[in-house]
Amino acid sequence: MTDLLALVVQQSVNGVYLGCLYVMVALGLTLIYGVLNQINFAHADFVTVGAFAALFTATRFATKVLGLPDTGAYLLSMVAALGAGALLGLAVNAAVFAPLRRGDELRPLIATIGVSVLIENGQLALFGPIPYQFDSPFSRETIRIGRIFFSAQSVLVVAVSAAAIAALYAFMRFTFLGKALRAVAQDRETAGLMGINPNLVIALTIIIASALAGMAGALLGPVVVLTPFTGASLIVKAFAIVIIGGFGNVQGTIIAGILVGIIEAFTVQYLGSGLIDLVVFVLLLVMLVLRPTGLIAERKEENV
Amino acid sequence: MSKSFGGVRAVQNVSIEVPENSIYALIGPNGAGKSTLLNLLSGIYQPDAGSLYLENKPLIGLPAHRRVRLGIARTFQKIRLFKQLTLLENVLAGFHIHQDAPFWKSLFYGDTGRFRDEARELLEFVGLADHAGERAGALPYGQQRMLEIARALATRPRLFMLDEPAAGLNAAEVEFLLKRLEQIGGRGVTVVVVEHNMDLVMNVAQRVFVMDHGEPLFEGTPREVQANPAVIEAYLGGEFQ
Amino acid sequence: MAALPWLITTPYWRGILVLCAMNVLLALSLNLVLGYTGQLNLGQSAFFGIGAYVSTILVKTYGWNFWLASLAAVGAAGLLGLALAAFAVRLRGHYLAIASLGFAVITYQVLINWENVTQGVRGIYGILPPVGSTTALFYLVAGIAVLVYVLLDNLVRSPIGDTLRAIREDEISAASLGINGAIWKAFAFGLGAAIAGLAGCFYPGFVGTLVPDAFNIVESFTMMAMVIVGGMGTMIGPVIGAVVLTFLPELLRGFGELRLMIYGLALMLVVLFMPGGMVQAWNTLRKRLA
Repeated sequence: MTDLLALVVQQSVNGVYLGCLYVMVALGLTLIYGVLNQINFAHADFVTVGAFAALFTATRFATKVLGLPDTGAYLLSMVAALGAGALLGLAVNAAVFAPLRRGDELRPLIATIGVSVLIENGQLALFGPIPYQFDSPFSRETIRIGRIFFSAQSVLVVAVSAAAIAALYAFMRFTFLGKALRAVAQDRETAGLMGINPNLVIALTIIIASALAGMAGALLGPVVVLTPFTGASLIVKAFAIVIIGGFGNVQGTIIAGILVGIIEAFTVQYLGSGLIDLVVFVLLLVMLVLRPTGLIAERKEENV
Repeated sequence: MSKSFGGVRAVQNVSIEVPENSIYALIGPNGAGKSTLLNLLSGIYQPDAGSLYLENKPLIGLPAHRRVRLGIARTFQKIRLFKQLTLLENVLAGFHIHQDAPFWKSLFYGDTGRFRDEARELLEFVGLADHAGERAGALPYGQQRMLEIARALATRPRLFMLDEPAAGLNAAEVEFLLKRLEQIGGRGVTVVVVEHNMDLVMNVAQRVFVMDHGEPLFEGTPREVQANPAVIEAYLGGEFQ
Repeated sequence: MAALPWLITTPYWRGILVLCAMNVLLALSLNLVLGYTGQLNLGQSAFFGIGAYVSTILVKTYGWNFWLASLAAVGAAGLLGLALAAFAVRLRGHYLAIASLGFAVITYQVLINWENVTQGVRGIYGILPPVGSTTALFYLVAGIAVLVYVLLDNLVRSPIGDTLRAIREDEISAASLGINGAIWKAFAFGLGAAIAGLAGCFYPGFVGTLVPDAFNIVESFTMMAMVIVGGMGTMIGPVIGAVVLTFLPELLRGFGELRLMIYGLALMLVVLFMPGGMVQAWNTLRKRLA
C-alpha cells in the first residue's frame, strides 16, 4: 500500500468513526425538529452531561462501589449516560417545549439557549474548567489491519451507532409508537384527529433523542477533550450536519454526519486541529447560501 | 402567463386584461388558480412563462415591493396584519413609499407625525377610527380585514387587488365591504377582486373573469357569466344564485 | 447617573460602571436587530470583537490616533454587519440563528488563528484607554451610550421604525406595502454591528489586554439575555437588562462565578413566563395597581 493511499484510508476510517459519533448526536437534534419544528440548542450539552455521567459511573460508582471489572463498568456507564440524557430530555420538554407549544416559534430556541448556558456553566461550577481524562477499557486497545490503525473504541462506536440507527429505524417502521412519531412529524393536527396524542409522542421523541445524545456522550468521552464546554463546539458540528442533511431528514443526517466526520479527519491531517470549527462552519454557511433546506430535502414554497 | 409548482400547473396560459378604472372580478371554483394569478400580478411569484404589463410598463422580474411604487396594492387571503402594532401604526406603515424624509431628519427629530391625519382618515373610512390605539391582533376577524384594506390604501394605489376579502365575514360585514369597494372604485382606483362568493361579484363588478383548473374559462359581464353554461358546469352545485 | 462615579468610590465598582455602560451600548445594538427588526441574530459578538481588534491593531501596530482608529473599526464592524445581512435576506428563523452563530464562530476562529495580525490566544498587552481615569472613561462611554440611545430612540419613533417593525411582524405583507426587506435588514444589521463595534473600541483600553476569548459566542448569548430580560422591542428594555445583568451577579457577591448561570436561568425564565421582559412586568404591575 502506498503511503498516500494508506493515509487516505486511515483518515477515512477515522472520519467514518468520528462521523458515526456525530450522527448519534445529530440524530436526536433532527428527530426533535422533525416532530416539533424546534431546535434544542442544548442538545450537545446533553451529550456532555452524558459523558460526565458515564465518567463518574465508570470510575467511581461501578468500579469502587460495585466492584465491576473495567469493561462491565464502562458498559454500565453507557446505560447511566443514556438514563441521564433521557432525564434531561424529560426535564427540558416539561420545562420548555411543552409550555411553549403554542406561541412564537422562536421562543423555545431562545429558551434552550438559556438551558445550554445554564448546563454548561452549572457543569463548570461542579467540575471546573480543566479537561477530564476519560479512559474507557476500549480506548486503550489498538487494532491494526495492514497499515491502518484504529482503537477498539472506534469499533465500539461504529457498532453501537449502527445498532442504534438500526434500532431507531426498526422502531419507526414497525412499532406503533414509531409510526405515530412519523405521523406527528408529518401533520400534527391530523395525527391528533386520528387518535394519536401528539403531546405524548413529542415528549417520547424528545426523551429518545436526548437518551441518544446522552449515550453518544459515553462513547465520545474517551475520544474528545472533555470539559464543561465540549458541548459548545459540538453543537456547531451538529447544526452543520442537520442543515446539510436537511432538518428532520433522518437519512440525510446520517449521510451528512459521516461526511462531516470525514471532512474533520482530513482537516486535522492537513490543516491542523485548530481550524476544524472554521472549516465546518464555512461549509455550513456555504450550504445555507446554496441550499438552505439540505442536500436531500425538498423545497417548499411558502403558502401565501 | 403560466406558473407551475413542482409539477402542478397552477396557472396555464392565462391571458387577462383589466380595464382601467373598473371593478373587475376574478372567480372560479377552489383550486382554479385565482390566488396564484393574483400573486403573479402582485409580484410574489414570477411566472414561468409569459408577460405582464401595467399600462405598457413591463412588470416581469420586478419584485413585489417595487410594484407598489407603480401603484399596485393588495390584500391577502390569510390576513397578514402587524399584530403587535396598533391600528394606527399598521396604517402608518402603509405610507412607507410616500415617506421621503431624509435620514438625518429621522435621526434627530424622530416622529414628525406627517401622515397621521391621513391615516386616521383611512381608519375612519373603514369604520375603525375609534380603535386606533388598540393592538391589531386583538380585533375581531371582520375588522381585521377592514384594517388590512385601510393599510393597503395608504399606499395610494391605482390598482387595488383583494384576495377573497369576504371570506369569513358575516352578511353585514360583506355589505359594508361592498360599499367600500364601490367607493374606492368611484375614486378612480381600478379594483380587482378574487372572490369565491358570487353575491359580492354580481353586485359590484363590472366585468368578470372566470378560471377553472388553472385555465381561463370565460370573460364577460356578470349577467353573461351567470348565463354561461360552461361556467355553471364548472361550479356544479356551487353557490350560484 | 452623572453623580454615580462620586458615590461609588471603590475602583472595582467604578470599573463595573464602565462595563455597564458598554453593555448598555451592546444591548441597544442587538435590540435594533432583534427587537425592532425581528431578526434572530446570534452573531453580535463578532462585531464587538471586530471593533476591539481593528481599533487596537490600528493604534498599536500602525500608530493611529485612537479616535481615527475607532472610526475605522466602527466602519469595519458595520461592513461585516452588512455581510451578515446578506444571509438574513435569504434565511429566516432557525436558519438565520444558526447562520449568524456560524458567522460569530468563524470570526472568533479567525481572531484566534490569524496570529500574525491578532497575536491569537497570546493576546495583545499594554493597551491604554483613551482617557486617564476610570471615572473619565465612564463618562465617555456612558455619554456615548446616552447619545446612541437618544438617536436610536428618534430613529424608532420615525417612519424608519415603522418600517423595521413591519419587517419584524410580517415581511410578506410589508413587501406588499412597498417595503424592501433586503435593504432595511441591511440597514439594521449594519447599524447594529457598527454600534457593537463602537462598544468594542473601548473594551481593550478598559481591560488593558485583548484576547479573543472575550469575544466568544457566549458574549452573543449574554447580549441576548440582556435584551430579552430587559424587554425586547422597547428602548428602555435593553438598558434595564444591561444594568440588571451587569450588577446582579456582582451584588450576589459570593456567586460571581455563577454570572453566566444566572444569565442562562434568567433567559429561560423570562422567555417562559414574561416574554416582554422587565418592561412587561413593570407595565403589568402598573395596570394592577391602577
